[in-house]
Amino acid sequence: MSEIQLEQRTKRSLLFYPKIYLMIITQDIKSKMHYRADFFISILGMLATNISGFVAFWLIFQNFPSIKGWTYHEMIFLYAFSLLALTPVQLFFDNNWSLRFAVYSGDFVKYCFRPLNLYFYFVSEVVDVKGVGQFVFGLAILIYSWEHLAIPVNFQTILLLIVAMISASLIMIAMMTAAAATCFWIMNSGMVMVFLFRFKDYAKYPVTIFNQAFQIFFSFIIPIGFVSYYPSLVFLRPGHIHPLSYLTPLVALVFFYGSYKLWMRGAMKYSGTGS
Amino acid sequence: MAEIQTKKLPFRRYFALTRGGILELTAFRMSMALDFVGNIIYMIVVYFLWSAIYESTPTGIVNGMTFSDTLIYLTLASAIFSLVEVYLVWQMGRDIQSGQFSLYFTKPTDFFLYQFFNQSGNIATGFIVTFLPTFLIVDFLSSWRIPIGVNTLFFAISLIFSIVINFCIDFMVGTLCLYTQSFWGINMMKEVIVLLLSGATIPLAFFPHTFQTVVMYLPFQAIYNVPLQILISDSLSFVDYGKYLGIQAFWSLVMILLARLFFRHASKVITVNGG
Repeated sequence: MSEIQLEQRTKRSLLFYPKIYLMIITQDIKSKMHYRADFFISILGMLATNISGFVAFWLIFQNFPSIKGWTYHEMIFLYAFSLLALTPVQLFFDNNWSLRFAVYSGDFVKYCFRPLNLYFYFVSEVVDVKGVGQFVFGLAILIYSWEHLAIPVNFQTILLLIVAMISASLIMIAMMTAAAATCFWIMNSGMVMVFLFRFKDYAKYPVTIFNQAFQIFFSFIIPIGFVSYYPSLVFLRPGHIHPLSYLTPLVALVFFYGSYKLWMRGAMKYSGTGS
Repeated sequence: MAEIQTKKLPFRRYFALTRGGILELTAFRMSMALDFVGNIIYMIVVYFLWSAIYESTPTGIVNGMTFSDTLIYLTLASAIFSLVEVYLVWQMGRDIQSGQFSLYFTKPTDFFLYQFFNQSGNIATGFIVTFLPTFLIVDFLSSWRIPIGVNTLFFAISLIFSIVINFCIDFMVGTLCLYTQSFWGINMMKEVIVLLLSGATIPLAFFPHTFQTVVMYLPFQAIYNVPLQILISDSLSFVDYGKYLGIQAFWSLVMILLARLFFRHASKVITVNGG
């Protein structure tokens, strides 16, 4: 690296990374525009899964009045919250699914030669547009349940919603980042990702339906309770907020930082395939 | 060339593919173990979710189903899912996108049979590694509520039909990818439709009445609902068994015919990437 480049590296403005990010994703979106049919079919596929989750709740509540004291609209709120919180991992971190292929084939080396943060450069390369459908559907049913539950709409609740949503989405991003990072050490990391990704489907249930042991499991070991349940309590049960609800942003940051460190540690010990 | 084209592989030779599939899977023991753990966790979630749901009923029986009926129904549905799921759409979709697909046309095999036997090793292993343990655990958890006797025998026959019907659906959806060149979204839609309309997501007994009638005329319920009814109901006569298996045999024939016709038509119009 030359003297001048080093000079420039230290003088990066705050806008450096957002600018680069836009440049990289524009390329990805351009290449995806070649397959417009695929784009629409993928969005429909994503919507189909989301709608089936909704239909499942609808069917349950056709037959039963409540689930452990949670009403139909409250369950829809939890579901909507989880869908929205799971959108960023789908939209912006989908390249983690390709990490193992890049590592095994040796292509990963290319990321090591850029004067950019390795993790940043790797995840910014792909934007998974099908997450857009999930975002729209999630937002629609969030508004629907929000209205039925008569939750006030003011500056405070909107701000809380944004903070809660960002924290919740970091949890799943952290889980998938850590899962993807296992490919630096083991061969079957695809299975680890599939295994952990399945847990996102359980985020829409209130943690209270489980017994003590599994409440702990879903709060601290596989922390999907933080994807929807704990942050949603702030809106659904403002009188009885669980202490863990307040901790959501902190837990999210800790998990995300840990997974990022793990990912980077793996990347640093990566020695290529020798070709 | 013409010689090779006309000389089709003898049927029994296809079993070599079954053996190959089983051997291939022994290399992925880790994956199977993780898959198994994933299924156990799914069962635990279903257990807690539905016991919470059933708490809100005074009688404990809804639409003729008790809690343990529902538990057995849903967990075995997921066991059947991991048994019949062949990921054929993924494989065909990838081969179509990469251009590898053209290789199949150079082989002196029947494409439909080739794919079926190629997956059969997977299915055979899945039966022993995933299905049987899940079955035993569910039976144990429900204090041996599943009757063992002549119904188990019919259930085994019924499962073979389920495998065939599900395979044909996958095969047709895979063939559809020849037209769209895109598979992720189509596969998602297929999964949602099959799982929802077959009763694997929510037992069919909980569906509104008119909807149930419509669903009974579709092939999807023959994959999950029929084998599960055969296994769980303890008051079926031989005529009932005959009816159930007759429905499945009918759908198997129809689907095999449709799948083969569709593929024959599609293979005349395909374009293969890369040549």
